[in-house]
Amino acid sequence: MPEIRVTPLGAGQDVGRSCILVSIAGKNVMLDCGMHMGFSDDRRFPDFSYITRNGRLTDFLDCVIISHFHLDHCGALPYFSEMVGYDGPIYMTHPTQAICPILLEDYRKIAVDKKGEANFFTSQMIKDCMKKVVAVHLHQTVQVDDELEIKAYYAGHVLGAAMFQIKVGSESVVYTGDYNMTPDRHLGAAWIDKCRPNLLITESTYATTIRDSKRCRERDFLKKVHEAVERGGKVLIPVFALGRAQELCILLETFWERMNLKAPIYFSTGLTEKANHYYKLFITWTNQKIRKTFVQRNMFEFKHIKAFDRAFADNPGPMVVFATPGMLHAGQSLQIFRKWAGNEKNMVIMPGYCVQGTVGHKILSGQRKLEMEGRQVLEVKMQVEYMSFSAHADAKGIMQLVGQAEPESVLLVHGEAKKMEFLKQKIEQELRVSCYMPANGETVTLPTSPSIPVGVSLGLLKREMAQGLLPDAKKPRLLHGTLIMKDSALKELGLAEHQLRFTCRVHLHDPRKEQETALRVYSHLKSVLKDHCVQHLPDGSVTVESILIQAAAHSEDPGTKVLLVSWTYQDEELGSYLTSLLKKGLPQASS
Amino acid sequence: MDPECSQLLPALCAVLADPRQPMVDDTCLEKLLDWFKTITEAGSSLLLLQENPCLVELLCHVLKPQDLSSRVLSFSLRLTGVFAAQEDCFQYLQQGELLPRLFGEAGPLGGAAWTAPTVRSGWIQGLRSLAQHPSALHFLADCGAVDTIFSLQGDSSLFVASAAGQLLVHILSLSMRGPAEGPPSLQADDWPPCAQKIVGHIEESLRSTATPQITQALNVLTTTFSHCHDPWTQVLWVQLHPLVAALLQKDPVPAAHSLVDLLLSVARSPGLSSSSCGLWETLAQTLSHLSPTQAGLLALGILKLQDCPQALRAQAFAVLLQPLACVLQATAQGPGPSGLLDSTAADSVTADMLLPSKAACVGLLCQTLAHLELLLPLPQRPCPWPQAPLLGAAVTLLQLCRGSGSPASDAGRQLCALLLGCVRVQRAALDFLGTLSQETGPPELVTQVFAVLLEYLRSPDSSPTVLKKAFQATFRWLLSSPRTPGCSDLDSHTLLFLRELLPVLQKRLCSPCWEVRDSGLEFLTQMTRRWGGQAGFRHALLASEVPRLTEQLLRDPESYVRASAVTAMGQLSSQGLCVPPAGPEHPGSQQSLLGELLHILSTDSEGFPRRAVMQVFTQWLRDSHADVVGDTEQFVAGVLQVAGQDLDWEVRAQGLELALVFLEQMLGPPRSHCPYAVTPPVAAPAGPLTQALQSLCRVRLFEFAFRALFDCDRPVAQKSCDLLLLLRAKTASSSSLQEPRSSPDVASVEAALQRWRAGDQAQPLGDLEPEVVLAVLRSMDLEGLRGALAESSDHVEKSPQSLLQDMLATVGILGENEADCY
Repeated sequence: MPEIRVTPLGAGQDVGRSCILVSIAGKNVMLDCGMHMGFSDDRRFPDFSYITRNGRLTDFLDCVIISHFHLDHCGALPYFSEMVGYDGPIYMTHPTQAICPILLEDYRKIAVDKKGEANFFTSQMIKDCMKKVVAVHLHQTVQVDDELEIKAYYAGHVLGAAMFQIKVGSESVVYTGDYNMTPDRHLGAAWIDKCRPNLLITESTYATTIRDSKRCRERDFLKKVHEAVERGGKVLIPVFALGRAQELCILLETFWERMNLKAPIYFSTGLTEKANHYYKLFITWTNQKIRKTFVQRNMFEFKHIKAFDRAFADNPGPMVVFATPGMLHAGQSLQIFRKWAGNEKNMVIMPGYCVQGTVGHKILSGQRKLEMEGRQVLEVKMQVEYMSFSAHADAKGIMQLVGQAEPESVLLVHGEAKKMEFLKQKIEQELRVSCYMPANGETVTLPTSPSIPVGVSLGLLKREMAQGLLPDAKKPRLLHGTLIMKDSALKELGLAEHQLRFTCRVHLHDPRKEQETALRVYSHLKSVLKDHCVQHLPDGSVTVESILIQAAAHSEDPGTKVLLVSWTYQDEELGSYLTSLLKKGLPQASS
Repeated sequence: MDPECSQLLPALCAVLADPRQPMVDDTCLEKLLDWFKTITEAGSSLLLLQENPCLVELLCHVLKPQDLSSRVLSFSLRLTGVFAAQEDCFQYLQQGELLPRLFGEAGPLGGAAWTAPTVRSGWIQGLRSLAQHPSALHFLADCGAVDTIFSLQGDSSLFVASAAGQLLVHILSLSMRGPAEGPPSLQADDWPPCAQKIVGHIEESLRSTATPQITQALNVLTTTFSHCHDPWTQVLWVQLHPLVAALLQKDPVPAAHSLVDLLLSVARSPGLSSSSCGLWETLAQTLSHLSPTQAGLLALGILKLQDCPQALRAQAFAVLLQPLACVLQATAQGPGPSGLLDSTAADSVTADMLLPSKAACVGLLCQTLAHLELLLPLPQRPCPWPQAPLLGAAVTLLQLCRGSGSPASDAGRQLCALLLGCVRVQRAALDFLGTLSQETGPPELVTQVFAVLLEYLRSPDSSPTVLKKAFQATFRWLLSSPRTPGCSDLDSHTLLFLRELLPVLQKRLCSPCWEVRDSGLEFLTQMTRRWGGQAGFRHALLASEVPRLTEQLLRDPESYVRASAVTAMGQLSSQGLCVPPAGPEHPGSQQSLLGELLHILSTDSEGFPRRAVMQVFTQWLRDSHADVVGDTEQFVAGVLQVAGQDLDWEVRAQGLELALVFLEQMLGPPRSHCPYAVTPPVAAPAGPLTQALQSLCRVRLFEFAFRALFDCDRPVAQKSCDLLLLLRAKTASSSSLQEPRSSPDVASVEAALQRWRAGDQAQPLGDLEPEVVLAVLRSMDLEGLRGALAESSDHVEKSPQSLLQDMLATVGILGENEADCY
C-alpha cells in the first residue's frame, strides 16, 4: 500500500535543530534544516549521516523547504548545502530568502568571534547557499517536478514565516513550521484553507499553555522600561538581528511618542536600516494596520530610535539599547552588559530563550555573581527581567489550525514530550484525529489510499448524462465500464497485475483415456509446431508457450474428449491458430 | 576533578535523582557526559567514584521505581558505561550488582521506561562504552544483552537501530581480540561463543526472506570489514560469502544498496586477499544483476579500487558509461557505434530504464554524470579515457534539455521530450562538462562545447543556478583553451568566443535576479584576474559595456551584488581596465573609484560591501596600486580612520590586515612565520627605522592598533596583539630609539590605555612620537595578552564548573527560560 513516512532528525520531542524528513509517494522532502545553539560542535546540526547513507544527497532528496528565518529552522542550511554536499533546490518565501543570510551571517560572526568553533560555514558559503534558493509567493503552487508541488500559507510568527503544503498526486502533507494564530503589532495571524491533508505536521511549543494576552506582556514591558528610564537607569535589550527586535522597537517608538519621552533609544549595527528596508520591501507580509498606515507613515522609520555607537554606552543618563547577540554570549551586547551590570538602577530585559553556556542563561537562572576571565567576578546588581515575546500558537491556536485544515492525522514536532503527550490526547479526544509524536530518529508510517485520476471516454459520459442527472462533486455516482489500469496505478494501489486469459473448448472424438489423448495432442503439436516450445507436463497437460491444453472426459459421451485450451492475450494469435488446428482433429497415424 | 566541581557534584546528583526536578535542557546532560568522558580518559574512574560517592548513589537511585525522566535514566546508563570501561571500575560496579541491575532484564529493559527511544539509545551507548575488556564480554553473555541487541537492530528509531548494529560489530571485534593468551583461532568453529552467536545471527539474517533483516546483516558486515582488518575477517568472509552471493539469485536483489556497500568494503579491506575469496567474481555478477541505478555506485567503487582485475574494471566502466551510450545512440544522426562503448547495441535494460519514466531517466542520468565527474580527476581512472564521446554526450544532453537537438530516432525524440527544461540534468551536465575541461578534446567538439555554453548563458529560460554553473563551466573551458604559440595570450578562436560572450555577460549584469548579477560579477572577476594583462582580453573587455555596468552595480540594492561589484571593480582597476565615466563631473575614473569605495566603506549599511572594500584596499596597497602610491600615508590614514569606527568586527580585523601590509612595507616583512622562532637579531639601521615609525605615527596606525587590542571582539584583539608583537620584534634591536619609560608622555599614554582596557575608549591618544610608542610597547605584557586571547571568549561559561552551577541554578525556576525559538 502507498504510505507517507515521516522521520524527524531534529525537533522530534525537542526544540532546536528542526529537520523533518518526509517521504510521500516516492518523493523525499526535507522540512527545515535548523541548528541547535546549545552545542558548539557537530551536535548543533542534525545528523545527516542517516540520509547520506541512501546514496548521493542530491539524488535522494527532491527538495528542501525552509519555513522561516529563525536559526533553529535554517541554521544548518549552508552546512548542508555547501559542506555536506546537497546541490538540489531549496524553497522558502521571498522575505525568508532576504533575511536568512543576515541571521546566518550574524551567527557565523558570533561563532568565529568566540573562537574555538570548528567546522563552521563561511560568508561565501552562506551566499552560495542562498543562490540555490527558489523563492515562492504565498498561495502560489510551485511545481518542484512533474509530480511534486508545494504551496505556502501565511504563518504569522515572524516576517515571511510560512506553512507549506507538499502534494504528490492526491496525497498531501502540511508542515506548519512555527506559527501564531493571533495577530501581533506587525504581523497577522496564520491561516490555511480546508485543504484536508493526509497529515498535518505542527509545532507544539506551547502545547499545554493558554497564553496570557500579549497586551499584558507588552504593558508590563513598557512599564518596566519606563520605570528604569525614569529613575535614570540604562536598559539593555539583547536581541538577534531581525525578528522580535522590530516588534519591540515599534512598541517603544509608539510609547515614547505617546509619553513624550526624551531618553535616547539606540539600535546597534545599522539594523534599523535593514529592518526598515525589509519591512518596506515586504509590506504585504505585515498586518493590515501596518499596511494601512504605511501610506501616511512607515512604521519602521523610527523617530526616537537612533543608530548606536560604541562610545554611547559610557554616556551619562538614561538610555535604552538594543544590542546583538540575543543571548549575551559575545560581542556588543555582552560588552554593554559588563559595563552596566554593577549599577542597580540599570536593567536588562531578555526577550527570548537563552541556551546553557551563555551569560543570558546564567542571569535568567538567578545567578548574580558571574565569574569572568582571569578569575574576576562580576556582580550583577542591575535588574534582570525575562519576557518572552516569541509568537507561537498556544494549545487553543493549534486546535484551531487543526480544525481549519481538517487533516486525516496530526504529527507533533518542536516541543517537549510531556507537553506533546497532553496535546496528543486532546487532539485525539476532541477532534477524533489520530496523532503522533515521534522522537528524533523515529519513523512514523501512515498508509494512504490514493485517489487515482481515471480517463473516461466521452461516449460513456454522454450515456450517463443522458440519464438526466447532472454531475455533483459531493454525490458519488456509479458508472459502469471497463477499468484498464497501467503499471503506475497498480504500483500506487499496491496491486498485482490481473492476468487475462482466453479459453476455448474443443471436442475430439477419441475413446481413449484422457492421458492418452493428451499424449496424442502433444505428439501432434510437437510435429507441427517445430519452432515453438511444446512441453508435456507431469500433470498430463500440454503447453505451447503460454498456451495450456488439458484433456478431460465428456460428461455425457464417453467416446468424446474435451480439450480445454487457454492462452494469454499476448499469445492470442498462436492460441487461435492452435484451436483451429485442434478442431481439425488429430491425425489417425498417431493412433 | 577540581575541588570546586567536586563540591558542586553531590548537590547536582541529588537534583538529577529527584523526579520532581525535571531537567528541561538535555544539552546539559550531554555536556556533563562529555566532561566525565574527559575526566575518565585522563585518570582512574575507580578513584573518581571512590572520591565522589554521590555518583554511585545516583546510579543506584535511578533504579528505584519512580517517575524518573527518561533523559536522566538514559544519561545514567551512558555514564555507567563510561565508568565501567576501565576494568577495575567495572569490577567495583559489579560487586554492587549495579551493572546487571542497570543493563540486565531487571533494569529499564523490562520496564515502562524502555518505550522511550532515548532510554534504549542510552542502554546501547552505555554498553558500547563498557565493552572494552574480557570481563565485559562475560557480563554481556551472562545478562543476555546480545539477544536484546539483535532485536534492537530493527528498532523503530533509526538512531537506536544503527547504534545496535555498530555495537554488534564492536562486540564481535572485541570477542575476536580474545584473551591475553594468544590470538584467536582462524577456524570459525573454534571462535569464542559470543562471536559464533553473532555470526550465526548474521547467517540467519542473510538467509531470511525479509529485506530489513538482510539489510541489517549486510550493514553489520559492512561496518565490520570497514573497521576490522585482522586475519579473522577473511575467515568470516569465506564463511559468509556463499550466503551473500546467494542474494544475487533473488529477483529483485534484496537490499541492493547495502549489498553494494558491503562488497565495496570487502574489496577495500586490506585484511582480505580478494582473489582467494571469489570476490571479483561476485562483484562481476553483482554488476550484471543489479539495475543500472544500483550498479552505478558499485561500478564507481570498483573503478576507485587500487588493484582489481582489468576485465572487472572494463565491465564496471561499461556499466557507468551505458546510460550516456544510450543517449548517444538514441540521438545519433546515422547508424554506427556511438564511440562510447564497443558494442553498438545499447544495453536494453539501461535503455528501458531511461525511456519510460522521466523520474527514472533523470535520476539515472544525474547519477551517471556525478559518478563520472568524481572519477575523472582520479589517477586510477580508466585509460584510455573516452574524452571525445563523453564531451559529445554532455553536449548532447545539454542540447536535449534545451530542446535544441533534433534527434532523428523515436528514442531520441522520446528522450528529448523527457529532458526538455529539466533543471536537474542541466545542472549535472554543466558540472560534468566543466570537469571535462581538465582534458582536451577535438577542436570541433570544443567549438560545440563553447556553443552550448553560450546558448545556456544567453537563454532567458536558464535558471539562476543553471547560469551559475554555466559561468563556472565556461571559465574552466576558457582556462583550458589553447594559447597562441609563443605567448600566453588567448588564441583567436577563444577571443572570438570572448567577443560573443561579453555582450551576454553584459545582459546578465542587468538581470532582475540578484543571483544572476552576482554570478556574472564573480565570473568577470575570475576572468580579469586571469587574463587582465593580456591584450586580446583587454581589448575585447574595453570595447564592451561590461566595465561601466560593473561600476553601476556598486550601487546595487542587493548587498551581495555590491560586494561582488566592489571586488570586480578592484580587480579591473588593478589591471587598468576601468573606463573613465562620461561627463565633466568625473575628472578621473581611478580617483573617483577610490572615493566611491571609501564612500561605501563609510556609509554602506551592510558588512559584505565594506569587507570587500577593505580586501580591495589591502590588495591595492600590497600591489602598489597607482592611486595608493601617490600618497600612501594619506590613503592608509583615511582607510584606518574609517575602518576603526566600523561596527562590523571583520572590517576592523581587515583594517589590521591593511595596517600589517603597510607596516611590512615600512619595516620589511617578518623574518619568520613563527613569532616564537629564535632568530639572531639583525640591527635595523636607526635612520630609516625612525622615519618608518614616524610614518606609522602619522597614519595613526598605533592608535588604531591599541584600540583594536582592547576590542570586545576577540579576533580583532588577537590580530592587533600579533601586529604589535611583530612591531616590537622589529624595533627591539634598534638602540637609538631606546627611551626611558618614565617620560610623562609615556605615562599619559599608558593611563589612556588603561582606561581603554576598562572599556572607556572615548578619549583619543593624540599625536604620538615613535619613542613613546616603543616605550609603551615594551612595557606592555603582550605575550600574556596573547595567551589570554588564544582561549575562546566564552571559555568561562563553557567550563565544567559553570555547567554544574548553571544546572543547579535552574532548579525550581523552570518556565522562566523556556525553549521556544531563536
